Amino acid sequence: MGCVNVIVSPEGLAVKKIEKISQPQKVWGWEIAVYLFLAGMGAGAYSVGVILGWTWNLSVLVKIFHVNFDVAKGILYGGPLLVAIGAPFLIVDLGIKERFLYACLNPRTSWVARGFLILSTFIILGLIVFGTSLLFPGVDLRGSPFWTLLEAITLLLAVSTALYTGILLKSVRYVPIWNTLWLPVLFLASALSTGSTAIVLAMMACGLAFPEAQELLVRAHQVASLERILILMEGVILAFYLYTTYRKKEEGEVSVRLLFMGKLRWLFWGGIVFLGFLFPFVLELLSTWQPDQLILLLVTGISLLLGGFFLRWAILASGVKAKHPLHKFLELRATLGPSIPKGRGDLTR
Amino acid sequence: MHGKVLVIDHEKCTGCRQCEMVCSVFHTGASNPSRSRIRVIKWEAIGLYLPLSCQNCEEPFCTEVCPAKACHREAENQRVVIDKKKCIGCKTCIMACPFGHPFFDSSERVTVKCDYCDGDPQCVAFCQARAIVYVDADRIPGPKRKEAALRLITSMRPPL
Repeated sequence: MGCVNVIVSPEGLAVKKIEKISQPQKVWGWEIAVYLFLAGMGAGAYSVGVILGWTWNLSVLVKIFHVNFDVAKGILYGGPLLVAIGAPFLIVDLGIKERFLYACLNPRTSWVARGFLILSTFIILGLIVFGTSLLFPGVDLRGSPFWTLLEAITLLLAVSTALYTGILLKSVRYVPIWNTLWLPVLFLASALSTGSTAIVLAMMACGLAFPEAQELLVRAHQVASLERILILMEGVILAFYLYTTYRKKEEGEVSVRLLFMGKLRWLFWGGIVFLGFLFPFVLELLSTWQPDQLILLLVTGISLLLGGFFLRWAILASGVKAKHPLHKFLELRATLGPSIPKGRGDLTR
Repeated sequence: MHGKVLVIDHEKCTGCRQCEMVCSVFHTGASNPSRSRIRVIKWEAIGLYLPLSCQNCEEPFCTEVCPAKACHREAENQRVVIDKKKCIGCKTCIMACPFGHPFFDSSERVTVKCDYCDGDPQCVAFCQARAIVYVDADRIPGPKRKEAALRLITSMRPPL
């Protein structure tokens, strides 16, 4: 919560200056930021992957230790793996980790409990789709009503997971920078852009590692062109989000100031604006002119992922709680001094 | 509103922090104000002290957001309490409370809040200035409520 520093005159009578030093929250730290990032990226990768899988019907077989793997499908449906890696970070943040199963007991009102159910269902069903697609390339499940239904349900759960990372923060009513509808939308856009970046990087890694998977390098460029649109969308949404938060309430403005010129300015300008938008955008433009330079695409991808992580971290770290009404009163009283009439809220009476 | 609540008159508070001391001794056995369930916010420069404790809200956000149902309202006496045996230490209630009340106890690894000392609040018993009283929510004196409302209205007005 914010605190107030008041400097009094030598006589100790009139309050000359009131300086507001608003402290951002420290309750949720880096563990939550890592979780938000990995869960968002995994859900976004799966959403983009399923749609690309429906569009392309891509299949690239690679033999490892005499076993055939469909690496193309493994990449497109690999999102749940990232979510499964991210979810334990939520458990790491708990006070008593062995009680983590209690976190699903109140889905009626608690978004943490709802998230627990959404995430665990998505991880289980998503890993079934991922494992089946990767390990059983010979089985053609396309067109099977059961498989299509499973894909559609997991796609819905993936979008819910991406949105949930934003809704978890939005449900905290007294932190204005979080309590806005723009946040789930921003996190969804970021999930889709980081998810598609993860697909691009995985395709490049496979394409370079296995000679029989050269097709994936071409596909990586196609996904990268989609990614450019998603980055632009994310940038526009971020601008709207920050603008509406700045105009919203006092503490919303404080949070945005913390990001723009406060102690989080390096995280915002360096981590989000430069690494997340400007640098990758320039590199992507260069890579369209020089498509053979895979290093450009690789650096772009890493930069985008770092930007996505810093976005979550910065938003989490800039959360400033709205002030207690009495706290506001004390500030006002200190500002106005004796001008508040007695009996109308004068504390010294 | 139902049940009894702690009513704090910050004008009477001298900032001695005896309430923090007795609270921590009662709940943890140690004289450690950082583990107290009541916290006194101080503005030394203008001589104001504000003891903050659970407000026993009519619609508590802490119970709403608790995923494990550890934070709940007791049916018997309408007190909002945290069951330490169920608490997972997710700190969601800390973020949800507008009064910044529940605290994370790093020794026990759970979130703790004022439990009114099982009906006999020690902060009330030991406050020499009588700044804290434990009364039925419906019996808070009318003038006190009016005064609080006036303060709230004043605080909500934009600065001149």
